[in-house]
Amino acid sequence: MLEFLEFDFMRKAIVALVVLSLGMAPVGCFLVLRRLSLAGEAMSHAAIPGIAVAYSIAGLSVLSMTLGGLIAGLSVALLSTVLARVTLLREDANMATLYLLALAGGIFLLSVRGTAVNLESFLFGNILGLRASTLILIGATTTVTLLVMALILRPLILQTVDPVFARSQSKHTWLISAVFMVLVVLNLIAGFRALGTLMAVGLMIVPATAARYWVDAVTPMLGLAFCFGAGSGLLGLALSYWLSNVPSGPSIVLVCGAVFVVSLLFGRNGLNVLARRA
Amino acid sequence: MLQAKDLAVGYGAETVARALTFDVQAGEILAVIGHNGSGKSTLVKTILGIESPQAGALTWTGGTPPQPIGYLGQLTDFDRRFPMRVCDLVETGGWSKLGFFDAAGAGARLRAGEAIARVGLNDIATLPLHKLSAGQLQRALFARTMVQDAQVIILDEPFAAVDQNTEADLMDHVLGWVAEGRSVIMVLHNLSTVLHHCARTLLLGRGTGRFGPSRAVLNAGALVEMGYLAADQARWLTGSLSSVTGGGVTGDGVTGDGGADA
Repeated sequence: MLEFLEFDFMRKAIVALVVLSLGMAPVGCFLVLRRLSLAGEAMSHAAIPGIAVAYSIAGLSVLSMTLGGLIAGLSVALLSTVLARVTLLREDANMATLYLLALAGGIFLLSVRGTAVNLESFLFGNILGLRASTLILIGATTTVTLLVMALILRPLILQTVDPVFARSQSKHTWLISAVFMVLVVLNLIAGFRALGTLMAVGLMIVPATAARYWVDAVTPMLGLAFCFGAGSGLLGLALSYWLSNVPSGPSIVLVCGAVFVVSLLFGRNGLNVLARRA
Repeated sequence: MLQAKDLAVGYGAETVARALTFDVQAGEILAVIGHNGSGKSTLVKTILGIESPQAGALTWTGGTPPQPIGYLGQLTDFDRRFPMRVCDLVETGGWSKLGFFDAAGAGARLRAGEAIARVGLNDIATLPLHKLSAGQLQRALFARTMVQDAQVIILDEPFAAVDQNTEADLMDHVLGWVAEGRSVIMVLHNLSTVLHHCARTLLLGRGTGRFGPSRAVLNAGALVEMGYLAADQARWLTGSLSSVTGGGVTGDGVTGDGGADA
């Protein structure tokens, strides 16, 4: 049953998922805590046209696709913030519109151009076909994420719990927000090859949400989110291997979903069914 | 400590209040009152350096704003669902003194512990924020302000959501800060609190402000003129406030009796 561990592509996939979860856990936790869960979703779709354009210019180069995705994702986030400031409509309406346009444009571009990229593996991930360059991208992203998160953790917490107080203590809160958004997009792009553009945000948001049901402090929440993410990743990977027709992205996110349901039912900040009955 | 001359405050192109001239000395409380939209919060944000003055000058003794400025704001933007315990929140008051690479350390935890004891939250120091009542949360935020250990402290409607007992307790801490020579700027709504404890008042309204000794500024005529009270409210209040000004407020402003509420 565990004979799949002998395959080289399986070991790559396992390493990719564990390392990916390590970076996605803290980023996902703060996305949830900052009430940006849906913005994360929007940004993952917004990155698609950037990747598509980069692919049509430079082919399957990890660096250019990352750069393209980063530029597209951040432009949509930036543009919706700016539009909310100068017009009447709020940020969410602008962001939803922009990311839908970006998503449509991205799929359009890929369909017109792409015969080499399989649309399904683009949308839902192909974790069993990871190249070495993708592994390096994931490793580099996680390293950068953990270092930067360690540096900005205190201002990030302060800004999330009490934004006006944070601004009264530091002139650079906008910079902290901007750096955090860059980390979000970077991690999403790192997750794209493994989980697909539709599902990558799942490994970020769902474990973080599930962890919040159990704990009431930031550090344990980050740790628990990582355990949930990596655990679901490995189990979902095994599922997608055993049932050979299921793409890896949905199967991993479904396992995350099972963890979420259990946390919702039994976690002390959730419905807490056991304690209520007692 | 702080001196404002012909200050105009506002957001972007819109000016909310102009021609504000006032000052705050070490060891005194400046009360800021005014109707909704008179620019109280805008003024606070300008003093904190979040907004820039639109005109005029804001001068600090020593040239630059003190670091940190103690601040306790309104709770509208505060996220009570954030996963944090009372002791964690109080400790954040010391963070502005830490560099990027410093660890908070045992000293910070000790100071937070002392502050928690002083506001009477020892029993619930490890409770998460979402389990606190409004009064308990306000006590925790006062403890955070203590940990900030600032020479200038700004409190924006600190008693808005708390009961009378809590207000009296917290006011004692404010008076303690003043006795230590700190400057306190307080946005308030309760005129009797102002008359009891604050030597001088900045009354905002009608796009500008009046500044002076609280007794002089808070007369019925000025309160009506500045849009803070309607004429009939003012007539009713004149009677009840005169009993306070008669006994409570002295020349130097701060008295300890704290009793006769309007």
